[in-house]
Amino acid sequence: MTAMPAVRSTHRILAAASPIAIAVFVFGVSFGVLAIAAHLPAWSVVLMSALVFAGSAQFAALGVVAAGGGVLTAVLAGALLNLRFVATGIAIAGSLPGGRLLRALLAQLSIDESYAMSARAGPPGRPDGRTLLITGALLYGVWVVGTLIGAVLGPVLGDPKRLGLDAAFPAGFVALLWPMLGGRHAIRCAVAGVAVALALAPVTPPGVPLAGAAIVGLWLAR
Amino acid sequence: MAGPLALLLVLGLAGLSFLMRAAGSLLPPLPPSVTQRTSGLAPALLAALVAIQLTGRNGLVHLDVKLPAVLLAAALAAFRAPFIVCVIAGALVAALLRALFHLS
Repeated sequence: MTAMPAVRSTHRILAAASPIAIAVFVFGVSFGVLAIAAHLPAWSVVLMSALVFAGSAQFAALGVVAAGGGVLTAVLAGALLNLRFVATGIAIAGSLPGGRLLRALLAQLSIDESYAMSARAGPPGRPDGRTLLITGALLYGVWVVGTLIGAVLGPVLGDPKRLGLDAAFPAGFVALLWPMLGGRHAIRCAVAGVAVALALAPVTPPGVPLAGAAIVGLWLAR
Repeated sequence: MAGPLALLLVLGLAGLSFLMRAAGSLLPPLPPSVTQRTSGLAPALLAALVAIQLTGRNGLVHLDVKLPAVLLAAALAAFRAPFIVCVIAGALVAALLRALFHLS
């Protein structure tokens, strides 16, 4: 029997990531369908998945557009959700190869799932860079292809309201939120976010309630 | 949405997301006390998005099929159902209530 290799083989990393890849693919298809239902041009839907590569942020931006909100509000909602990538980017920076510029480019492959896999593959505080890159590249591929298939399927499905697709957004937000409510701090942030958003909504332009919720979330987090 | 607006949406979100992911490699190290605070953002924002989608401009709950859709999705998520199951179940219950009872 040969000694265990110090580096996990590409094959093993891909095998470990394949169940996640299926989930990301299905999420991509549903994102494409919903984006077409929200009247985004098909090319922009696929371009968004290719350039943003962040399911929850894209979903949030789309939810704002589908509910009649403006572009700036949609960008704000998505970008604020992506602020957590500043934290994961710092965590993985030391594990990536190359100079600053290459590392900044490679860090674009970090999403929640690839970061979680790399954190699990490495020792505490030192995520495994190869796992992040291989898992991230696989998930990037299925995310973009899934979105493309969804964008092609979208127009075939028919009237979005009759299919309940407008209700898919708040249902999806709740499904993304629920697993995060593990501790008292997260619950406190969520409750305060709702309170601030509802207090601001009647008296401020769209976008301000979300910004207020973000600020109170940052304020209360620990 | 018109093409130029859609392009603005995509490029705006893409540019900001790029900078956030690149920040760890480009910036000098930030203290963990700063970066850990971003953990509060997602719950606060997602909860606010749900609340805004379920309420009218007056801040009161708007009674339509989105409310049962959200309740069902939350119940399924509590039982650890996958994300996509929650979304499809929410859309299905909304579509059914509209088809059967002509709700808004």
